[in-house]
Amino acid sequence: MKGFAPLLRKEIREQIRTYKLVIVGSVFLLFGISTPLTLKYLPELLKFAGDEQMVIQIPPPTAVQSLAEYAGTIGQIGVLVTVLIAMGCVANELRSGTAVMILSKPVSRSAFVSAKLIAMSFTFLVSMAAASLFCFGYTVWLIEDTAVLPFVGLNLLLGLFLVFCLAVTLFFSSLFKNSLAAGGIAIAALIGQAAISAIPIIGKYMPGKLLSWGTDLLSGSGENYWWALAITVIVIVLCVYFSQRFLKNRDM
Amino acid sequence: MTAISTQGLSKYYGTIKALDDLNLEIPDNAVFGFLGPNGAGKTTTIKLLTGFARPTSGKAQVAGEKIGDNNLALQSKIGLLPDVPAFYNWMSSREFMRFVGEVHHLPGSEIRNRTEELLELVELKKSGNRRIGGYSRGMRQRLGIAQALINRPKVLFMDEPTSALDPIGRREVLNLILRLRENTTIFMSSHILSDVERVCDMVGIIDKGKLVTVSSVEALQKKYAHSIFEMEFIENPGLFVESLKQITWLAEPAIVIVNGTPVIRVRAVDVNYARKELPRVISDSGLTLTRYELSLPSIEDIFVEILTNRDRQ
Repeated sequence: MKGFAPLLRKEIREQIRTYKLVIVGSVFLLFGISTPLTLKYLPELLKFAGDEQMVIQIPPPTAVQSLAEYAGTIGQIGVLVTVLIAMGCVANELRSGTAVMILSKPVSRSAFVSAKLIAMSFTFLVSMAAASLFCFGYTVWLIEDTAVLPFVGLNLLLGLFLVFCLAVTLFFSSLFKNSLAAGGIAIAALIGQAAISAIPIIGKYMPGKLLSWGTDLLSGSGENYWWALAITVIVIVLCVYFSQRFLKNRDM
Repeated sequence: MTAISTQGLSKYYGTIKALDDLNLEIPDNAVFGFLGPNGAGKTTTIKLLTGFARPTSGKAQVAGEKIGDNNLALQSKIGLLPDVPAFYNWMSSREFMRFVGEVHHLPGSEIRNRTEELLELVELKKSGNRRIGGYSRGMRQRLGIAQALINRPKVLFMDEPTSALDPIGRREVLNLILRLRENTTIFMSSHILSDVERVCDMVGIIDKGKLVTVSSVEALQKKYAHSIFEMEFIENPGLFVESLKQITWLAEPAIVIVNGTPVIRVRAVDVNYARKELPRVISDSGLTLTRYELSLPSIEDIFVEILTNRDRQ
């Protein structure tokens, strides 16, 4: 991991200076704030939009419903954002030639790759923490009080799932010089794993189960998916390992 | 001491021989010019010697490090200027230099000193805080040179170092190369043969992946020296040319006009004999000699001659 510290500092500066942190933070904050607001004011919004004679019965929103909807949005749109941000992280450097400039210095490929994953994870985890804080605050303020610990657990699982998505995209970004190809195949792989997660027997071992587990924590029901968690961590490590192996073996 | 040595270094892409059995010995502090047409194998050689490609066969040592064994040790001893240096456009050149210094694990005070010293050297000190995204190609090339030097490399690889520069920039880079040779071995590939002639003391010519010749510039010029003598006189040399036509060890004497001045050009059938005897013939003519030389070929002449001969074969 030679050269890791300066590379990580550079990657984090890049996240800030190229506005990636601001963009991801804004998108996540939008979901964090809009979910409880929409749930709370949906009946009023419908009154403005609809006919006065029309009667729509909407049950009053619950805190669990608000937090679960927020998690669902992050689990879908958030995943798409991870792919968009990570698909060019190595591919663009290979194509532009900056990878050659940096890797001609005494830095290891594993430091090069893992610094990228950690910096991107930093962006997403900070954005998610801010968004979750706002979501929880607005939910408690506008809807009802609820326990904080299950929501913390949900966020930890959601955060790990996003890091998994980043790692998968980074892996494909190391394989291709074309970021669109890397992004396309990463999306296909993530959709594939989501589809497998729905299969009863093997689904419980898939990273996608972390999302269901997190939502179940809110309602206090359902089962734990420790195997899915362990496999997610293993896949993240393998993605980093194979990314640096590909970089080591490829002619630049 | 040898800075770069290769034994049977080869690189194949499928059936294509990008580099075939390269054997090179480049001594310390030499400026080595690597010449060849496009696709000859110059960039492949630089990639192999800097650890960016794996050889199909053969081995090489650069600055005492075997390539392929521990590239990190190799990379701490070399500098690389790629043909198109690329940077993070959001950084300033000062930030980039500091980042490169950190990556080389230099102490903070040395990073600061080297950054300022090298930015001064490549005349980017004033624009050191501007974003690299706004730099011209020439400025990027100069920054590429500066970043390659931050670790005081033992061997510096430069792929077409002057190709993007204007004439003044080119002259500055060539002067810089001449200064660097005191402490650094330089391996440069170039298409600009006059640049190679000016700064290199050794050249290698490669064609279709095969090293055609490697030699010092002087030895190469001697080897490929044309047996052409040129003479200039104050007086009209018309009658003298006629007398040269009678000499059996000379051939094709003729008057050519160079910069408005009549110059006698004559080819020696036996160049060593002509070297001894021609001055006596000139002296006997009674003309006033102003210039007399055995014309040496330029690197460009040699390059073209070698490659043309290979094509004929």
